[in-house]
Amino acid sequence: MELFRLEHKKLWRKNSTRICVLLCLIYCVGFGSFLVYQCITYGSTKENHSGHNFDGYENIRNCQEYSRKYGVLTDEGLQEWVRDYQRLSAQLDEERKTQGSENLETVHKVQNSDLYTVNGWLRTLYPELERVDMLGVRTMSGYVEPEKLTGIYERREKAIDTFLEISGQTGAERDYLLRINEKVQEPFSWKWTEGWSNILGNTVSSLAMVLALFLAVVLSALFAGEWHDNTSPLLLTTKNGWRKLATAKILTGTVFTLELFLMVAVGTVTLQLIYLGTEGWDMPIQMVKMIAIAPMNMLQAEIYEFAFTLLGALGYAGIVMLFSAFCKNHVLALLMSLAVAYGPLVLRNRVPMVLEKVFDLLPLVGSGADIFRTNTFCLFGHYIWSPYLLIWVPFMIGVLCLLPAVKGWARRMRS
Amino acid sequence: MELSIDRLTKQYGRKIAVDCVSTVLRSGVYGLLGENGAGKTTLMRMLCAILEPTSGEVFLDGREVTSMGGDYRDLLGYLPQDFGYYPNYTAKEFLLYMAALKGIPRDVAGSRTKELLEVVGLSESASKKIKTFSGGMKQRVGIAQALLNEPKLLILDEPTAGLDPKERVRFRNMISDYAAGRIVILSTHIVSDIEAIADEVLLMKKGKLVSQGTVSALTKGAEGKVWELTVPQTETKSWQDKAAVANLRHEGEQVVLRILAEEKPAEGAVSCEATLEDLYLQSFRE
Repeated sequence: MELFRLEHKKLWRKNSTRICVLLCLIYCVGFGSFLVYQCITYGSTKENHSGHNFDGYENIRNCQEYSRKYGVLTDEGLQEWVRDYQRLSAQLDEERKTQGSENLETVHKVQNSDLYTVNGWLRTLYPELERVDMLGVRTMSGYVEPEKLTGIYERREKAIDTFLEISGQTGAERDYLLRINEKVQEPFSWKWTEGWSNILGNTVSSLAMVLALFLAVVLSALFAGEWHDNTSPLLLTTKNGWRKLATAKILTGTVFTLELFLMVAVGTVTLQLIYLGTEGWDMPIQMVKMIAIAPMNMLQAEIYEFAFTLLGALGYAGIVMLFSAFCKNHVLALLMSLAVAYGPLVLRNRVPMVLEKVFDLLPLVGSGADIFRTNTFCLFGHYIWSPYLLIWVPFMIGVLCLLPAVKGWARRMRS
Repeated sequence: MELSIDRLTKQYGRKIAVDCVSTVLRSGVYGLLGENGAGKTTLMRMLCAILEPTSGEVFLDGREVTSMGGDYRDLLGYLPQDFGYYPNYTAKEFLLYMAALKGIPRDVAGSRTKELLEVVGLSESASKKIKTFSGGMKQRVGIAQALLNEPKLLILDEPTAGLDPKERVRFRNMISDYAAGRIVILSTHIVSDIEAIADEVLLMKKGKLVSQGTVSALTKGAEGKVWELTVPQTETKSWQDKAAVANLRHEGEQVVLRILAEEKPAEGAVSCEATLEDLYLQSFRE
């Protein structure tokens, strides 16, 4: 334990570690959360439409207030929303006609109405109502007849069926996915959705790639750095020798990964609570994507995505430590580690579908946002919904790397 | 305590770095002498069990050292030739880290670190980062870490490199005191250091152990082969060309040459007492 304590302290004493952690926090919490909430995504539009105001906090409250009145997603609620939107839209047209430009207040009202989310529902559930001649001219919610928006939940079942058919997911695979979908509870609770949509679609899922970069920089020197410092003869002649030290290093790498993750996660969640509060946690994820089949609410989905990121980060740390143990040069270990995380992203669109799915199983390569998809893996004739595998396999890969890392390091030290 | 080296050999491809070295070492200070590439460091690394021999074995009190594992390393203190350290660590932190690696309990490690920093004269610099240290100070940190676990077998590869004369004297005294009941093996190019503290000298040449014995026993072999001859300055060059000149000293217009030769090199030459350096130069004369 003492060895671990000192090894952990040693890692944190390095300037590179401190700089990496600071940059990671600045990027994920400062830029990725604070600026996004306060300005980039949720700030109201500036008067001259040249960016956003620094008023995200108030603006989010307005958005939440607007959607609060609906409560539950019903045909009537959706129709009411569309009428409201069309009224605002007409008001904008009128203002443009009479004053030459829109009133900023009306623009903000439109923007605060969860427009993008609802428009997504309409396109998914009522594709036959979409007009080709209006593409790029007006959003669907602007021209669709509200009275025709009926049978939301039946429409949703049909949309899932159609999607599975188009995706070539038939037979046993289709039945399996529909069985999962059966657990989705209706009717859906309806509050402001865009905040959760952004958290689940961007904020949490993008943490993985950032963590990969900083974990690679810090952990690639964990073992290989001993060659750089030329300390291996000293380490090998001590009582605790390489075995206990290697174990301490593995533990240090794992704890550091946890610490970095926790710092980023705590920062992100704290800002989320400050800006969005807890409102809408119980909405089903179908409010973000109607044809999602997972019986999860927003909170469960966020927990899944954080767990996915944490387990992926731990798995990735295992791979980086393996490279670090096998390479005498920590720069080489760093390049190899980065290649594992970013190489598949580069190659993704150039490889067959099967290989793409295999890439997804690598730590921090796949996406926690797969809970919105209907991807499956077929193992020994059994279909498994991809999020079940995507969360555990990367972690297991990392765990499997640890023993070879310890042994490999010992072998390299003696060579 | 007895360290037996049995036909220890290390071969890299065609090159034999250490060639069938056998000896038995008991308590005392052993000086390892040899020119660069003689195999001293390779031999020391094999004694430390960090380099696997091509053949041969090392026994400590009858037990083969690699099979002893942690027990052997617990008895061992080692200062490598190129001593590596963590630049951002202070001397104290580095020693505490090494103490943990050596399995020394935390409370003992603190007092032992303090004591050793005092012994090597680094008490006042204990809280300074090693990267700010001079070469000699770093070397002293290295010596301190080797002594942390009070090793029964202390192996020091060029411990006096970078130390100033005062520090070398301090080091020699420290090792002399420390060696009682222990085996200390040290290598250095500074022959006077070995002459001052080594109970026995091991002379290595091209991977082979060519001679072993006390300083007096070894220098006895060079007796009658060391001469002093006073010549005019103009003759210095010709003497250097035709004889092995170990040293030359100017005395006014004359030069006193110290010549290594089997027979009296000239009429005026006077036989003088051989030193270890004479023996060393004689052994490695091409």
